[in-house]
Order: sequence, then C-alpha cells, then structure tokens
Amino acid sequence: MTDTVQLLVVRNLTVAYRQGGGWARAVDQVSFSVQPGEVFGLVGESGCGKSTVSLQLLGYRHPSTKVEQGDVLFKGRSLVTMSRPELDRLRGDRIAFVPQNPTTALNPGIRIGDQLVETMVAHGRAEQVKGAAIAEVLKLVGLPADPGFQRRYPHQLSGGQQQRVCIAMALACDPDLLVLDEPTTGLDVTTQEQIVNLLSDLRRRIGVAMLYVTHDLALLSQIADRIGVMYAGRMVEIAPTHEIFLRPRHPYTQGLIASIPLIEEQSARRSRPLRGLLRRRELPAGCPFTPRCDHARDRCASERQELEAIDNGRAVACWRWREIAPIPAETSVASTGGRQSGPVPALSVDGVSVLYGPRGRGFRAVGDVSFDIKEGEVFALVGESGSGKSTLARVISGLVAPADGTIRLRGDQMAASVGGRSRDERRLIQYIFQNPDASLNPRARIGETIARPLAHFFGMDAARAKAALADALHDVRLDASYQDRYPDQLSGGERQRVAIARALVAKPALLLCDEILSALDVSVQASILALLQQLKSEHGIAMLFISHDLAVVRMLADRVCVLYGGEVMEIGAREAVFAPPYHPYTYSLLHAVPVPLRRPDKPAKSRGLVEPKRGGVGCVYAGRCPWQIEGVCETERPPWREAPGGIRLRCHLTLEELSARAGWTAAQDKEIAV
Amino acid sequence: MSMDHAAAPTRQSALSRYRLLWGQTPQSFRIGLVILLVHLIVAATGPLWAPYGYSQMGTGIPLSGASWEHPFGVDQLGRDVFSRVVHGSHIVILLSLSGTALGLVVGAVLGLLSGYLGGWFDNLLQRLLEALISIPFLVLALIAIASAGPELSGNPILVVLVVALVYAPRIARMARAAAMDIATRDYVTVARLRGESAWSVMRRELLPNATGVLLVEFALRAGYAPVLVGSLGFLGFGLRPPTPEWGLMISENRALIIITPITVLGPGLALASLVVGLNLFTEGLARILGRTVRLGAQ
Repeated sequence: MTDTVQLLVVRNLTVAYRQGGGWARAVDQVSFSVQPGEVFGLVGESGCGKSTVSLQLLGYRHPSTKVEQGDVLFKGRSLVTMSRPELDRLRGDRIAFVPQNPTTALNPGIRIGDQLVETMVAHGRAEQVKGAAIAEVLKLVGLPADPGFQRRYPHQLSGGQQQRVCIAMALACDPDLLVLDEPTTGLDVTTQEQIVNLLSDLRRRIGVAMLYVTHDLALLSQIADRIGVMYAGRMVEIAPTHEIFLRPRHPYTQGLIASIPLIEEQSARRSRPLRGLLRRRELPAGCPFTPRCDHARDRCASERQELEAIDNGRAVACWRWREIAPIPAETSVASTGGRQSGPVPALSVDGVSVLYGPRGRGFRAVGDVSFDIKEGEVFALVGESGSGKSTLARVISGLVAPADGTIRLRGDQMAASVGGRSRDERRLIQYIFQNPDASLNPRARIGETIARPLAHFFGMDAARAKAALADALHDVRLDASYQDRYPDQLSGGERQRVAIARALVAKPALLLCDEILSALDVSVQASILALLQQLKSEHGIAMLFISHDLAVVRMLADRVCVLYGGEVMEIGAREAVFAPPYHPYTYSLLHAVPVPLRRPDKPAKSRGLVEPKRGGVGCVYAGRCPWQIEGVCETERPPWREAPGGIRLRCHLTLEELSARAGWTAAQDKEIAV
Repeated sequence: MSMDHAAAPTRQSALSRYRLLWGQTPQSFRIGLVILLVHLIVAATGPLWAPYGYSQMGTGIPLSGASWEHPFGVDQLGRDVFSRVVHGSHIVILLSLSGTALGLVVGAVLGLLSGYLGGWFDNLLQRLLEALISIPFLVLALIAIASAGPELSGNPILVVLVVALVYAPRIARMARAAAMDIATRDYVTVARLRGESAWSVMRRELLPNATGVLLVEFALRAGYAPVLVGSLGFLGFGLRPPTPEWGLMISENRALIIITPITVLGPGLALASLVVGLNLFTEGLARILGRTVRLGAQ
C-alpha cells in the first residue's frame, strides 16, 4: 500500500500536554492510516489518548498542546504544518467532526436550520443554501425536512435527534472524512442503535470515511472495518474487525474483549476484569501494559515494543504475540438465585405513582408500579432514560414522595418522605449513586466519609470506627491506607468502591444501585461487577439494580423488571425475561444491544422515537411498538399475561403470538409495519 | 540522629514546594500581599517607633506643611499627622477585620442554612436580607448608629457591629448561592438520606466545600471595610476625637485642605493604599482558589 491511495496517514504522531512545569506525553508514536470510504475504529480506556489523536486529525492547536514528533497527512498534505487559513478551509469542508455531547455542541440560541447553514456559508457554498441542500442533508440523516422542523431550537429535539443534527452539520459540505468522538456515549441503547445504523447506512450511500473513537469495543464491531487499540498513548494493535474479535493478539486487546459482558450466552459467562489500573505516572520504559499483563517477562518492562506487521493487514506491539493464546473466558457457576428465606419480602412496592409538576397538569413519571424484592435477591430495573427507573429508586429511598401507593420494608409500611422514617428504616435502605465523583465529599478523607454512617447509626466512637473502617475497605478490596486519602486521589472505580463501602457499613437490608456502572470504563465496570457478585454471595443483601445495560443485568440479576414510560411492561425471573415470549419493548431493547460480530441485518426497526403516551387510555408503548395492533393498542389498556417460567407481561398480543414474533426477521417486521 | 536524616529531605522539599507555589501565584496577589504586610507591620509595631504620641500637641508649627521632620505635616492643634496615622493604623485594621469576620460568621451560617433548607425559612430570610441590601450601606449604617442611641456612639464595638450588619446580608446571599449548588451534589443527598440534621449537613458537607467562595467573599468585603469605617469617622458617627482614626482625621483637617493639603492627603493615602492592597490580594486569592477549585473538579 502506498500513500497515494490513503486518505489519511498518521505517522509516528507524538503529542504532549503542558502539565505543571513540564510536558506530559499523551500520545506516543502512533501510526495508522485510513483509506477512502473506510471506517477505522480507535478504542481504549479513558486517558489512553484516543481523543487526543482525533483532535490532531482536525489540526487542533493550542498553546498547551505540542506535537513533538510525527505528522498527520490528509491527502498527502500535512495538517501539523499547515497554515491556519488553509486549515480553516479544510476543516468542516473536507474533514468534519461529530462531538460526543450534542447538547453542548449545538448553540441553544440558534434554530437548527440556521446552524446547518453556518457550515455551508463558511465554506463558500452560500448558493447551495438557497436550494434544497438543507432539506437534502436533513433527509440524509433521517430527520424531517419540513421548514417547521428547521425552525426548531435544539432544546425542542430529543438527544438522538440532536446527534443527527450534529451529523447533518458535519455532512453539510460532503466531507471525505468524518471524525466521530464517542458520538453515542450519552445516548440510550435504542437511540445508539439508530445512530449506528444511520452511520453504516451513510457510509454505504455516500462512501464517507470515518474515524470512530469510542471505549466500546462491542459497538465498534458493528460498524468498523479495522480497529486500532490504544493503551497509555501507544497503539498496541491494529487489525481488521473480525480478526480482532476472533484472534486478538495483544494481551491488552484480549483483556478488553474478555471484559465485555455478553448478553447472548445462556450460561451467563462472567466477564473477566483486567487486572489493576492504568497509572500513567508509573509506566515502565518498555511496554506500558507490563504492570497489568499476565504474560509479562523482564524484557517487557525494559524494551520498547514497536508495532510489528504480522499478517494480512494486522500489526501488534508485543514481542510474545506468537506464544500468547487468548485466555478462555471463565464460566461462572450458575447464579445462586438469591437466598429466598422467609415469606416476607425485603421490600414491597405497591401501586406507586409519581407526578412531577403542578397538580392536574403534572407529568406522570411513574404509573401504578408494583413489585417485591426478596431478601438477598438482586432485582433489576431496566428501561431507557425517562422510563422512571431512577424516580422509583428515589421514591423507595424517600427523596420523592409518591402521589399514590405504599412502600413496605420487611412488611412494615414506611413514611413517604425520609424525614418521617425511623433511624433504622433509613439505615436499612442505602443508596449508591451513578457518578462517584459527585457522591463523595471532596473535602472529606475517605476514612471520614465511611466513618460518618458508623457514628450516626451505631454511635461508634473514633477508636471503634477505626477498626470497622479497615473491615469496610477490605470488603470492597481497597487497602486500609486509603482512609487517609481524599477522593480526588482516587480513580473513578476506586471512588465507586468507597461509595459502596459507605453503604455497606450501615448494614443495610437493601441497596439501591442507580446506574452505578455507567460512569466507569469497561474494564473497571467488570471489576466492580465482580465485586457486586461477591458481595451478593457474602452478605446476602437485596439489591435494586438499575441499569440500561442489559448485558450487565443478565450477569447479576435474579429477577428483572422492564419499565417503559413509567409503567411495568414485563417482570419476572431473569432467564424467562431474556427468552421468548418477549414483550415487544423487551424485544427491541434486547436487539438494540451491540453484540461483537453480530452486525445488524436490519434497518432501524422500531417506529422512530415517539414520546411515551403517559396516562392515556391505551398502552404507553403504542405508537412506537413494531407489533402494534391498529385500533386496539392505542385505545385499550393491555391486559396482564402470565407466561411459563414465572414472568408477567402486559400486552394485547397473546403469548403464542409473541413467541412466534420473537423469531421474526426484520423483513417480516417491515411488512407488518407497512 | 536517624530522625534528623529522615526529616531533612522533607523539609527541603517542602521549602522548594513553597517556592514553586509562590512562583505560580498571580502578580496582583504578590503586590497585594506586600502592601498588606507593610500595613500589618506598621499596625503591630507603630506605637513603638512613631516619633510622637497620637495626642501630643506642640510637636511643630501648626499647619506648617510637609517636611522631613513631619512628612504628613502638622495639624491645627500642633499634632504630628504622620505619628497619628501610624498610631491609628491598628484601629482601622482591627475594626475592619473584626467587623467583616463577624459579618462572615453570621452571613455564612444564615446563608448556608437558608440555601440548604429552602422553603419558608429561605423565603422569609431572603426577603429580609433583600430589604437590608436595598438600603444603601452608608444609610443603613447611619440608621443603625442613630437607633443605638447617643450613649453608645463612639463605642468601637458599635462600629464593629455596624460593619457586620452591613456585610452579613451580602455575604449570606453568596453563601446561599454556594449552598444551593452544593446541595444538589449526591454526597449531600446521602447525608440527607442518613437523616443528618441541617446543622450537621451544613458543618460537615456544605461549609468545607464553600470555604473557597467564603474566603474570597471575606477578603473582598474586608477590602472595603476600611472605607466604611473611615466614612463613618468622617461623618462623625464613628469613633470620637482624639482617636487617630483615619476618616476622622480627614474630617478634622478638611477645612484647611487649601492651606495644607498634606494633612488630609496623608491619612487619605494610608487608607487608599490599604484598600488597594487588600483588593489586589483578594483578586489574586480568588484566582488561585478558582484555579485549585477547577483542578480539583477535573
């Protein structure tokens, strides 16, 4: 391959950031190339330098950023040495960027039609603006092209629509290369599926090359042709997508793939976390992965590993790649199913409804939800954002008072708000939040944070708390020396462990885990997940586990409840929920999850994102349901149906019909939808 | 011996760390700090080396203007103005700082509780504070002094209370805004779910995280407090003569400003340099704290 056929060549790129008095290397001698029309995926944990690389593809310059070495060639021209006016002509026109967070990337004060025009005008295509160019580009990304839609402001669009607008802006000048920096990270799994489908569709239709940066390897398998794996600023492996999943060569790649929780496997394979953490300050001179590698030898730490071409377009930076066989995934013992002791459930939620906003015109966040959580059971609540999962957790904790319904803890009814509950009731329910950065007081040492519940609930003095503290830290696999540290000296995963320890010392009966993994890297997620599984068997605490990640739910939960628009769609034992007959919404959730090497063979299947019909006369899922029965679903409440295997679901379709449809292909779906 | 060996390198590194820190401070902070230090040294040691006493008369020819012997001239009663400025330094600084500190304590407690609790308590308190803030601060101070009655006028404690009264509502508003922001963090929710009292939440969760805001607010208010104290003195509502309070001195000599401008300019310059020093220091401090707060959040 010569440079002439390459659209983009990155050669020995080394980038440093100003840090304190000196410069810290974020990217170290990274080389790869992208051919016209190719999708190249760049994957790695946070802090590995993947975003830094993507910014250099846009010729990003800043006084505190320095390209120490190497070059980025776009169609043979260097972006590193190019003059600013030349860059301005190129950026947005030939190379376009799609940012991670569309909410902050769009100007909230400008109508989206006008924002789309900005790019075109800036690149001297003002004459196109008069024509149908805007309508065309909106149609291209699957948005309505009518003038009414163009006159909307960003806040009037959903997250998925906003990201589509960002993609439309990037495509406005028909670029050769699209740089996407985690474009679906903030989106729901169903929205993510639609965006990824859109991107692969765009690629087929207009042949634009893409550099797709993400931490989600499973997602990349859906769209990328080739994948580059980065670790600590170095490229450790480049290979075609199939190859990387079937025969990962670098130990880090193998670890990453092993730590992906899989939704498909019946035996609930336990994902294998990577050992340790990336500590950039303590990197050896040789291979940066040495401290965490299971195959490390003395030579690894001292000798620099360069990317070495091995076969058909693959390269790996590990001198032992021939000897290293992929580690087989651990198969865990089947779930213990929870200690189902005693007839009284740990928690029962009965007919709970929550209204937000003014009475009468309020917003029904949760509607008539009932379930029990048995002692020692992990009960999962799944659904997309806005489905009422977190609201339910807040009701149970007493932060939000329900408009209707009761909460019983071990059979006794509790006051609606936390102020009316007894000390013991407050102790028995502990809440763990999504974002560990915000849930620990930054000005309190870890020891103080964990000791506070001990003093508050058990009246422990400092000396006794000290002993309990070490135990608590040991429980979450942290060293006792952590008690003198402040939260900003800990990594995200360690902070989440501290938050778990703080909840555990109260000796709770129920843990409310509200998306506690979603703010963490995949490999850290796997280790926290392993911790939760151990805690489940050691302590036998019941958990309400809220997640949008069905793969994680499948590994941890005993029972699952699927929520949509604040109402229960399906509830039952894990394996029964994950097997046919599916509720139509469960089915669409399950099929939106990216599975490595299973490309979606279908175009976006559901009927687009429609707001749930809350408090209406029909089914809340009507309007979005692919299997909707015209004239019935929108006007009548669906009945509850009991299915074998201990699940209950709510649908107008009979169980036989649902079972039959579970095996349908997309083509059949389409026929029905028409 | 071994202890010494172990301690030496850490002391060394601590020293070089401070040097590094000093090198990173903004210029305004350094200049402000130097001016402030000069004022503090004068305030602390002035009475020991001032050439004359503050009420000593006949030190020179009245209204004779600036000279080497009397840099700020001699006033109507034959008192050396420079000596009086030096003697008055600690009065101005003490009154300003203690008044602001009292205002900070009251304002911070009220503001943090108000921001955290919300509801009717917050509503009532905020309307009250708004009413106080809507009155121009000098007018408010004069009303307070007038209502305290004649027997208390001239009492330094009254001046401190008045400074606190003027500043507490303003500091409370900043504290409330900070508390409302911090109260949305999950660690406060965790404390609330634990059933902690409002006082405990304020002390353990809110206050430690609002120190940056409050420190800057304190320095900012302290920077203008000498002006307030001086204004009260100038209007005759502050301390009583012959106290060498700077505002009072400006007031006493203002009728003769045409003949000997230096007798007014002297205390005026002293006041101005203190205010400028405090403000530069505050600005620098705010930048340093803002930086560390940002770094901490990353």
